[in-house]
Amino acid sequence: MMEAIPSPVGIVPELKKLSAFLRRDALIAWSYRRGAFSDIAGMLVQALLFYFLSSLVDTSRMAQLGGTRSGYMGFVVVGLTVAAFYQIGVTRMMSAVQNERFTGTFETLLVTPTSYATLQLGFVIYDILRIPVRTAIFLVLAVTLFGVDIRWAGLGQVGVLILALLPFVWGVAAGLTGAVVAFRQAGSIVGLANLVLVLGSGTYFPLQLFPSWVAATAALNPLAIALNGARAALLAGTSWSTTLSQAAVIATIAVGAWIVGTLAFQIALERERRTGNLGLY
Amino acid sequence: MAIPAVVPSGPAVEIHEVTRRFGAKAALAGVSMSVSRGEIHALLGPNGAGKTTLLRILAGLTRPTTGTVRILGLDVLRQTAGVRRLVGVIPSGDRTFYQRLSGLENLIFFGRLYGFSFAEASRRAREVLEAVGLGGQEYLMTGKYSQGMQKRLAIARALLTDPAVFLVDEATHNLDPEGARRVREFVRGAADRGAGVVWATQRVEEIRGFADTVTLLHQGNVRFTGTTAQLVSLASPTRFLLKIRNGRLSADHLTLGLRTALGTHGVISSDASEDGEHYVMTVAEGSTLGQAIAAITAANFQVLSCHETRPEIEQAFVELTGGGPV
Repeated sequence: MMEAIPSPVGIVPELKKLSAFLRRDALIAWSYRRGAFSDIAGMLVQALLFYFLSSLVDTSRMAQLGGTRSGYMGFVVVGLTVAAFYQIGVTRMMSAVQNERFTGTFETLLVTPTSYATLQLGFVIYDILRIPVRTAIFLVLAVTLFGVDIRWAGLGQVGVLILALLPFVWGVAAGLTGAVVAFRQAGSIVGLANLVLVLGSGTYFPLQLFPSWVAATAALNPLAIALNGARAALLAGTSWSTTLSQAAVIATIAVGAWIVGTLAFQIALERERRTGNLGLY
Repeated sequence: MAIPAVVPSGPAVEIHEVTRRFGAKAALAGVSMSVSRGEIHALLGPNGAGKTTLLRILAGLTRPTTGTVRILGLDVLRQTAGVRRLVGVIPSGDRTFYQRLSGLENLIFFGRLYGFSFAEASRRAREVLEAVGLGGQEYLMTGKYSQGMQKRLAIARALLTDPAVFLVDEATHNLDPEGARRVREFVRGAADRGAGVVWATQRVEEIRGFADTVTLLHQGNVRFTGTTAQLVSLASPTRFLLKIRNGRLSADHLTLGLRTALGTHGVISSDASEDGEHYVMTVAEGSTLGQAIAAITAANFQVLSCHETRPEIEQAFVELTGGGPV
């Protein structure tokens, strides 16, 4: 007779499950290891494109960072670095749920005694660790091949800004994933909204080139604040106190986004349970 | 190491007046049933009967519109996390694993989601792989497994936690007879060790000699619930295979003679075997087998043998559901 029930409950056992997700995704990524080279090649091509584009941009029109003006190449390289963190983090959760649903493993995960929060984090944990490595490779390539002037001492400040941004990324990812869970074909609309957010954060172009209302909304956009802070740290060597105050603003908004996003994800799953469409794609 | 705990008490599965509506359509209309520990309970019905919906409700994947569902005394709706620790699900889908991972790695992953440490999950995974006969193929990528192997892997996954209740959905529908037999053996073994099993199927022939009890669903309604023997007793067979001594008559003459002799007691079909000795007889409503045989023998035909052409359990299924696949 079965008498042993495994699955201790609590935060620590749930956190331990994250290493299972990490191992799973690392093994799957390893089985596609040739893809890693194409990813690096893609980054190089992207950097090359912006390198040529930068020769067309008048540096005097660039925003001042800590009293200095950086070139467009430096501006966009840092922008791509931070935005890649945001974009991969957000889209990964959404695509993971869609993929798990398509392959039939989504419901199999849901019948295990695993909390929604663990599942959400489990979907992205591998990328949370992978993206900094990818970012470092990208920065090294940009510096060595295209002569971008990076102040490496600012990397720690960028780390703090990204940490503060994490709940925002998680919240947006959970909210958008909830939208895809509930509406399935919402992927393209969600992608478009995401692109608008990235553009409106000043990833590719300085915000002063946009209408004034875009710059006004950017003041409350954690991604825009993080981009601004990262540029100031890596290109102009701004102080830690400036970075910390920016991180505090980001974290405040980010926590709100996290609460709303994770709630939306849970509501979407419950809605699907009620309608009986959980496993459909 | 996982923390052992006391299994809650109560029947393995208890479903009371469960309804489930999808818009205007009632997928389940007041379904009640109970499964004891150590019992294999077949959930039988044609496509669209509501079997999978009921299993999904038991697994906590779909909410019932009304009614209560308990597993070992735990309310599936309110104590979902507790229920999941007690239940092993064998889904009907063929691809419920990560195809780029080996069978072993898949099981380790799912084992860890049930709270096992890596070492414990590895040990358990190897044990259950061995138990289902996949011992030599643990490092093979799951995408390269055959359907039968994937099904056995699904059973291995369900066995990982030694669950007290198994929910099995159409587990053998795409397996060859030998593969299906092995799957039934594993599940029977689990039941013999005390697990309660809900086995959803639309294949009547699976039930005989395997399921202890049956609930027959049709369009969301319970048409029958009881033991397999009780289900069989409901059948009223009407089709029989007769062996007639044909003497020197041709098959055509014999068929004509039998039809005349039988009269209103039944019909002899002419599509019997070509040996001239075997005929299918359908007894007419209101007549009995005895009356039909008496009519034939009264016309000097010698009946050498008489067998039902359809197993009685299939007949019961057809009568209770008004048709459908068997």
